[in-house]
Amino acid sequence: MTDIKRLTLNIAIFLPFAIIIYFAMVIIAAHFPESFMKQNLKYIPGPMGDMFYRTNEARITKDVDILFLGSSHAYRGFDTRIFKIKGYKTFNLGSSSQTPLQTNVLLNRYLEQLNPKLVIFEVSPLIMNSDGIESTLDLIKNDKNDIYTFTNLIDFSNASTFNTAIYGFYMDLFKNYKPITDSIRLSNDLYISGGFVQRDMSYYKAEIIDKQAININPIQIDMLDKIIERLKKKDIKLILLQTPITKSLYNSYTDIYKFDSIMNSKAEYYNFNKIVDLNDSIHFYDSDHMNQNGVEVFDKEIMKLLMVNGLN
Amino acid sequence: MFFNSIDFAIFLPIVFLLYWFATNYNLKLQNFLIVIASYIFYGWWDWRFLSLIIFSTIIDFSIGKKLLNEENQKYRMVLLWTSIIINLGFLGFFKYYNFFVDNFITAFKFFGNNINVNTLNIILPVGISFYTFQTLSYSIDVYKRKLEPTKDIIAFAAFVSFFPQLVAGPIERATNLLPQFQKKREFDYTNAVDGLKQMLWGFFKKIVIADNAAQIANEIFNNSADYSGSTLIVGAIFFTFQIYGDFSGYSDIAIGTSRLFGFNLKQNFAFPYFSRDIAEFWRRWHISLSTWFRDYLYIPLGGSKGGTAMKIRNTFIIFIVSGFWHGANWTFIVWGALNALYFLPLMLTNNNRKNTDIIAQGKLFASITDIFKVLITFGLTVFAWIFFRAENMGHAMDIITEIFSSSVLSIPSFIGKQLATMTFLLIVFFMIIEWIGREQQYAIAIIGSKWKRTYRWIWYSLIIFLIGFYMQSTETAFIYFQF
Repeated sequence: MTDIKRLTLNIAIFLPFAIIIYFAMVIIAAHFPESFMKQNLKYIPGPMGDMFYRTNEARITKDVDILFLGSSHAYRGFDTRIFKIKGYKTFNLGSSSQTPLQTNVLLNRYLEQLNPKLVIFEVSPLIMNSDGIESTLDLIKNDKNDIYTFTNLIDFSNASTFNTAIYGFYMDLFKNYKPITDSIRLSNDLYISGGFVQRDMSYYKAEIIDKQAININPIQIDMLDKIIERLKKKDIKLILLQTPITKSLYNSYTDIYKFDSIMNSKAEYYNFNKIVDLNDSIHFYDSDHMNQNGVEVFDKEIMKLLMVNGLN
Repeated sequence: MFFNSIDFAIFLPIVFLLYWFATNYNLKLQNFLIVIASYIFYGWWDWRFLSLIIFSTIIDFSIGKKLLNEENQKYRMVLLWTSIIINLGFLGFFKYYNFFVDNFITAFKFFGNNINVNTLNIILPVGISFYTFQTLSYSIDVYKRKLEPTKDIIAFAAFVSFFPQLVAGPIERATNLLPQFQKKREFDYTNAVDGLKQMLWGFFKKIVIADNAAQIANEIFNNSADYSGSTLIVGAIFFTFQIYGDFSGYSDIAIGTSRLFGFNLKQNFAFPYFSRDIAEFWRRWHISLSTWFRDYLYIPLGGSKGGTAMKIRNTFIIFIVSGFWHGANWTFIVWGALNALYFLPLMLTNNNRKNTDIIAQGKLFASITDIFKVLITFGLTVFAWIFFRAENMGHAMDIITEIFSSSVLSIPSFIGKQLATMTFLLIVFFMIIEWIGREQQYAIAIIGSKWKRTYRWIWYSLIIFLIGFYMQSTETAFIYFQF
């Protein structure tokens, strides 16, 4: 065998060997007592988050009328119980800081079986500027990892998400998947069957927020376009919307009109900060999340929108 | 293109496979492939500046050819100076123009005259200081008849632009590298494996040590006004490891990559932080630059021959020019001058060649005296790096003033203490490995070489794991790219 063939062969054998050792080392390193020694492993130990219960439910839910997508604004804003009273079968697949990159992963996993007639996709300036890493880490821990985890990792080329995914695949072996049929208490939150999370009642204390310009991550816009195209091909109606946030936060954006204009050009879009008039200290528990008072007002407005769209 | 990028991870195997499989070991084809690959590698950053490299290549190649047959000494001298002026002219314009303009304005202002000269918004071409010195060495050696000029422009273009060392060295002499482009190259398994190991260690130094140390050094230096003297010392120590990991890591990757293609580059770093005096440090730090200045500046100036005054003059010239080579800032000049001050007592007492061997050679531990000497030398180096890292002289002096205040007795406190603890532990591991391998060309050259293959591969995999587990999320440029 020539020297160069010998080298090529040895590299070909070494690479899988190194990958196995690498994976083993990540699993061992996950048990380091000091978190600062786990620079690129962001698998937060402890009980599962609301997304774990949500994806458990999503796996056994079929044929919904409305699918809600988006960040915590979505899973804390669309109360599935309110829609159920009006006869809608809905599912809330929002997740922490969910950006279009993770929305795409979730659609890959659950769109076929959820088979919605309408998708309501919450978008916000903060999320559209995000790199999406926080949300990816949330999905790795709280959803069953699969091939789409890998495709999502390629979007990032980020050491933290890569190492966390390795550990995530390993931890999947120990996850106890069981259907959720009722509510589950999670610290200050109550997970409601259907994906909504209700925060215990509290009220926002006004604060001054510095003015900020809106930046949009082009990667997120590209992915949003792909999602829109995908839903169009499946003949699923899509509504983009911005959920209400406090006036102090909303007014801090110096160029919200630009954001509205971009979203308007993509699909049917509503900025609910212009549609519902909520009070910062009555309807919110922090600067960008509504408390249950706000959720009820907001969801009634959504219901009106559904009637306009013929989904009654 | 950065070595620590996905682009390079794709680029290198493609070039490697084409080089050994598609050229049928044809020398001209291999050289041509290296030129194309090198231009792609460089153009990835900014293709417009390729014109500078190509122009420099054509000029020095032509001058070399003319020098071959020219017997008239005066005309030979004119040819040499043409090469020097053109090469240093480019370097001077791109790197030093604004520095000189700014200083002229300041000087005129000082004497009460306001002059109106505009500085230019100049982009510094990456690697210009490195390839300029490499081509200059060719012209000078041909002029001195130490080297036969090449008639093969492709080989010469490959020598000038050889991608592993194009943008941050080592600065290779034409006498060492050019002949390698002119003789048939055979693939050597041992050399290639050694190259891969050296690359691996280089990546570890850059990605694990330098990039993490940079986070702490940057935090402390960028907010130096908020920190105590003791914290500023911590910042300087982390910068000391940052710059070593960064630059010697680059050199290791460059040398290792070259080995994959059948080339042997000179060692550029020889464990400088184990030096027992500053003279030894400078024999071990950025060796290709130190020896370049020694051979083309210090010796022509008279070197250490002549009287004491001449020795002092030459020492200051070489250190100051070396400092100025790094960047158009007074901080680099002072850094060079400070090293000259460190060096002078050794030279004047004839102690500058006292430590030419390897510390504790053949032993596991150094003597207490040697440890003490190493610590003193390390301390002097850390202090000098403050000038190197500072934004300007005012910044450097503020830091030094704080270090020499009572705040140096306080407990260091800064943002990122956990990262600092992690990085410190990684540095301890790094220095232990460096100590074990200090008699080799690079630290992990023989570690594991006698182990069973499985254990050896576990060791290499462990280094890969440390790289993946402790790397920063974004790829960061090598410091010496800016020089």
